[in-house]
Amino acid sequence: MISKESEKFLTELRFYLMSKGKNDDEINEITEELEVHLMEAEADGKDVSHIIGYSPKQYMKSIGESMTTDYRQMAGLVPLMILMLGAYVSIGPAIEGNFSLSKGTLWIAIIAGVIAVGGYGVLIFRVLPKFLHSKWSAVLLLGTGVAVTGILVMVLLWNQKQGFEPVFTATPLQNNVIMAVCAVIFIVSAIYTKTWFTIIIPLFISMGPIANRFIPQDVNEDPTYNLYTVIAFVIIAAIMIFVFMVKRKKMLNSGGKRNV
Amino acid sequence: MSDTTQMLKGILDGCLLAIIKEGEIYGYELAAKLESYGFRSLSEGTIYPLLLRMQKEGLISATLRKSTAGPKRKYYTLTEKGEQELDLFIVRWEQVSSSVDNVLSKRGI
Repeated sequence: MISKESEKFLTELRFYLMSKGKNDDEINEITEELEVHLMEAEADGKDVSHIIGYSPKQYMKSIGESMTTDYRQMAGLVPLMILMLGAYVSIGPAIEGNFSLSKGTLWIAIIAGVIAVGGYGVLIFRVLPKFLHSKWSAVLLLGTGVAVTGILVMVLLWNQKQGFEPVFTATPLQNNVIMAVCAVIFIVSAIYTKTWFTIIIPLFISMGPIANRFIPQDVNEDPTYNLYTVIAFVIIAAIMIFVFMVKRKKMLNSGGKRNV
Repeated sequence: MSDTTQMLKGILDGCLLAIIKEGEIYGYELAAKLESYGFRSLSEGTIYPLLLRMQKEGLISATLRKSTAGPKRKYYTLTEKGEQELDLFIVRWEQVSSSVDNVLSKRGI
């Protein structure tokens, strides 16, 4: 067993190397080797600073520089992202049983896709590593889920109002097939990226459509209820974002001091 | 401390090759040996990026082996190319070290 501090360093190192597009196998190899070292050093009464010096950031950088960047692996992430985004957008309507495609929807999907790829990348590689060992990681996940759901519900409502001419409307069977395919994409992505994100966020996204399918129609059609729901989502999301921005600022300050 | 590290760049490669030549060795042991030879101000982790690079350059090779302590250890051995590099290092070091000695003892060349 290694100390919490060492474990934190190894996790940060893993995320740092991942964000720099290093090869997965090489990342595993170096972190495992360092883990063995930290374990034996700690057994001899040394602490993590004895091993990595006083600037973990500098040390991570020096390791990163000795490793090759795996562009093929990085390129593989792009189709996976696109598949995942397609699945994010499709799973809601498929659960509701009214998946259809129109030109307007496709445009929205493309624009939302570009924004989401950027946002998702920032979240996984830049924001999340700083929160891994704090209870805030759960808040962050929850906040993101709620925010994503809220935004998607709003986009969906707006999209329905536009009355775009559908170019493809799915049959009940096709809706179920789409749902299953989306689930497979989420599971494969979770295994590939070794994160729970791709399972947790779709669960949040699915909550709305599932409720839509099972809550009585009169409640569903009442604009007051709809408005309340949207307002609640927005407020919760705003609180989460605020809390985690404050926390992040604090973490960055303390992190900065440590790295001097 | 960082000044020493800066000064050691390049020299440390040769030292690692020389220690690995003595026999198969894993990271922690290697760091401990360096320390026992007097490299006390060096952070132990410094060797890993170097080992990684030397492995890529084909100077050393690595095998994973089970240990009694827990996870597998990565043992390093010198390759033929590594031995040649070590010989070159020794020649270069002797030149540098005698030149520095000359300068410091103010004898000049």
